[in-house]
Amino acid sequence: MSVTRADVLKIAQLAELHVDEAAAAELERQLTRILDYVEQLNELPKDGPVEIPRPDVILRRDEPDADPLAAPPAAWAPAMKGGLFVVPRLGELGGGDES
Amino acid sequence: MTDASAAARATAARVKACEDRGLHAFYEWSEEAMLAQVAHAHGDGPLAGQGVAIKANIADAHHATSCGSRILEGWRSPFEATAVRRLRQAGAFIAGKTVCDEFAMGSSTEHSAFGPARNPFDRERVPGGSSGGSAVAVAAGAVDFALGSETGGSVRQPAAFCGVVGIKPTYGRVSRYGLVAFGSSLDQIGMFGRDVRSAALLLSAVSGRDERDATTLDRVPLPEPGPAPTSLKGTVIGRPREYFPDGLHPGVRAACDRALARLRDLGAEVRDVSLPHTRYAIPTYYIIAPAEASSNLARYDGVRYGARQDAPDVRALFRQTRGHGFGAEVRRRILLGTYVLSAGYYDAYYRSAQRARARIAKDFADVFASGVHALFTPTTPTPAFRFGENTADPLAMYLADIFTATANLALIPALSLPIGRDGGLPIGGQLLGPHEGEQTMIRVAQALEAATEATAEVR
Amino acid sequence: MSGAVWETVIGLEVHVQLLTRTKMFCACSTTYGDPPNTNVCPVCLGLPGALPVPNAEAVRLAVRAAFALGCTVNERSVFARKNYFYPDLPKGYQISQYDEPLATGGSLEIVSPERGVLTVGITRLHLEEDAGKSFHDRFPGLTAVDLNRSGVPLIEIVSEPDLRSPAEARAYLTALKQVLRWLGVSDCNMEEGSLRVDANLSVRRPGAPLGTRTEVKNMNSFSGVERALTFERGRQIALVEGGGAVEQRTMTFDAAKGEVRPMRSKEESHDYRYFPEPDLPPLVLRPAWLANEQLSLPELPAARRLRFEQQYGLSTVEASVVAATAAVADHYEALVVLLGDGAGKEAWNWEANDVLTHSEDGEAIPPRLTPARIAEVVALVRGNTVSRQAAKKILAEMVAGDEGASAIAQRLGLVQVQDAGAIEQWVREVIEASPAEVARYRGGETKLLGFFTGQVMKRSKGKADPKAVNVALTSALKGLRA
Repeated sequence: MSVTRADVLKIAQLAELHVDEAAAAELERQLTRILDYVEQLNELPKDGPVEIPRPDVILRRDEPDADPLAAPPAAWAPAMKGGLFVVPRLGELGGGDES
Repeated sequence: MTDASAAARATAARVKACEDRGLHAFYEWSEEAMLAQVAHAHGDGPLAGQGVAIKANIADAHHATSCGSRILEGWRSPFEATAVRRLRQAGAFIAGKTVCDEFAMGSSTEHSAFGPARNPFDRERVPGGSSGGSAVAVAAGAVDFALGSETGGSVRQPAAFCGVVGIKPTYGRVSRYGLVAFGSSLDQIGMFGRDVRSAALLLSAVSGRDERDATTLDRVPLPEPGPAPTSLKGTVIGRPREYFPDGLHPGVRAACDRALARLRDLGAEVRDVSLPHTRYAIPTYYIIAPAEASSNLARYDGVRYGARQDAPDVRALFRQTRGHGFGAEVRRRILLGTYVLSAGYYDAYYRSAQRARARIAKDFADVFASGVHALFTPTTPTPAFRFGENTADPLAMYLADIFTATANLALIPALSLPIGRDGGLPIGGQLLGPHEGEQTMIRVAQALEAATEATAEVR
Repeated sequence: MSGAVWETVIGLEVHVQLLTRTKMFCACSTTYGDPPNTNVCPVCLGLPGALPVPNAEAVRLAVRAAFALGCTVNERSVFARKNYFYPDLPKGYQISQYDEPLATGGSLEIVSPERGVLTVGITRLHLEEDAGKSFHDRFPGLTAVDLNRSGVPLIEIVSEPDLRSPAEARAYLTALKQVLRWLGVSDCNMEEGSLRVDANLSVRRPGAPLGTRTEVKNMNSFSGVERALTFERGRQIALVEGGGAVEQRTMTFDAAKGEVRPMRSKEESHDYRYFPEPDLPPLVLRPAWLANEQLSLPELPAARRLRFEQQYGLSTVEASVVAATAAVADHYEALVVLLGDGAGKEAWNWEANDVLTHSEDGEAIPPRLTPARIAEVVALVRGNTVSRQAAKKILAEMVAGDEGASAIAQRLGLVQVQDAGAIEQWVREVIEASPAEVARYRGGETKLLGFFTGQVMKRSKGKADPKAVNVALTSALKGLRA
């Protein structure tokens, strides 16, 4: 399965990961190689279970028992204002306070 | 508590000696942190007074949980892993945080953003990974106990390369709460010890259901290991042919042949078996693990914690933070994982891999159901390789996991113990147990350990 | 209006916050209005190493909602990750349900202003966690994030595109809110954000295939939904009538301007890369437990309304009023029982015209107006001790205090005079004082009875029992007719 430069850039966008030109070239090669390697799974029949049997999930009681933080966000967040986490404003989305 | 502070100082001296050798097993450690902990430590417990080294991706209160990554450099977690809490309840303290491949992605510690650890048997060789630092810490005598983590073999492989014991428990045996996630359906905290007993003791101390991890088995903690059995009469050990290919490294083959002979000497029946889907393990693993990783690492966006790059808007913030904060291997796996989950490819890759995984698991279940108690295989295809030997081609590095990844995929317990030397380098032998079969596996390991000269050359 | 030649097709996705004490996947409190980022923990902050554990009560409420909406509840359902990046989404994914949701295939009966009683299909209902809240205008140049809401349990209810008008969309929301509040599953308060709506709207010629739809977001009230969809319908119709084509876009409602316009950037089609949540094994519900939850559902609004119509002789509209909420319905029914057989309409009168007028929001019944106390007042009226008018004053007093009905009547001087002698005296006085009117009455103007009654009531300072007055007057005047 050949991965193109356009694929790499599109995937990098989805993964919110900056990839420069040089890295993109190398990634094209490496990802193609890896995907070619994993292609062999298509030798296997396309039927059969998709899950390994596991025990069912055990649910939690609806009681306040949160794992307390040793330090509040203000102690370790990169940027806070008025008790809120802040980032540079979204360029494209949103308009007015969101719900 | 003079006893406790004496224990702390003694441990600090040992750690210092290890680091003075330039082995770089530790990412962060200090005598102050050890003393601070023992001041509040339980006086008793099965690990009383013991300093345990833990991998840099396990959260504790006294050191950074950097996961070998710039994006979490200096990150002091405001909560502790359940496994760490249980260690404290058993009387232990955390000796320091050990070097690992970034976010546990790697087999050598060469992908650590803060420099690799070095194999004590040959400093030009890798200690294995991703939990290389913890393996070195035990092998070099800094500590007697260490925790690492496994996703595809990251405890057993370094254990084999460094001549110590490594255990990967049944998936769900030990809580993952506080273990920074890489491949959620594969990850388990693993144990290192100088001998099987130590590693098994560590396992029993941290095992058992945790309400904060919905994937833990609904079981009480495992009991402490008993005495080593002197006979394995009545025990059937399977030798899966797929793990002994024709081209297997001669030193590894010689060590395994010798170990199998010891098992027979102990009275075990060694039976030839087949695990026909073994060859699909690496392709399966390298779809599932990166896929889950791509999602697990999405939280590192610079918004709430960790490193952040300045940027004009928030999308640029995400991209620059992640582009700069993650190393090449992590970026590669995130992109691979994103790709195999993306629209149009999910069925061809991820779903396909899930199906293959189910077949691999069934291979093991069928073999164990046929009367086999444990399986014996080599842990790794070769002894420790040299720095730089496998970094040019990612795929070459991935193939180092060829004998270990199957256990993670099948959710079964596995253990590596030293079974000999080849040209001075340790060789590891692997035991695989049935699901929840740690006790059987450990008993066989203890018996084999007692009957084996782990430091003898095998050819 | 060109509405006649176009059919509007609307489907609604409603997100409803469940009434639990703690969040969906962690034990943080869900209390609304606390200082920002104080109801947070490693899990809902998305800290490295944190893991989700599902809330049993959230599952139970979701199951009850699903049964009440006639859904098939799946014994086995699977949580899935919906992956995307946003500042208020701490993990970079939302834990939701995708391929194997909790429930599918239900319906909700609504009353459409255009089409009458109508069944709207419900495609699915599933569990998920909420994201935090983003503020884009709090600080210049910054987006600010509060994660108190991150992880709060939600159910998403997706309707079939069975709605044909903005008014029907509103009616659907009203009916849905009624059911969910009835069950105690959610407050469904749009203003507080415990109910959110995304609407999909398209137009087509009747009989034609479905048109391209747009998604409308950011509506903050039921009337806002109606206004937004009215605008969007008009916009789409104008567009296609003018030869244009509707583009599939996400639109946002600007309540101040009453407009719907595209969200600022062209929405990139999201690739959410759904896959089963590896941190959560499948949710498996035991058949016996499910059956118990289904059987223990209260009688639902529609059923209760129907029963009121049949059992108490009420019209549909009347029944809707007293079956609006479980509390009102219980209150009304208790009152009927106290008032005896055949008192359905009478009780309705009291409930609708007296009790509910004292309610602050038209729904909550003042706690002191118990059915027993109202029955006391009714007894006084039935016995002519007080007039119907006077009874209203007594009830008003009862809202604030615990005094008995009779005692209040006495204290306020509302007890009607029924003493035949006193009434006859007043009647005689009025007849003597109004000879002209008496003559006219004897001449055939029997309507003047009202005048005489008024005069007697004046003389009695409003205290005479009007019925007794009527009887006495009629008899006295009859006696005078030649």
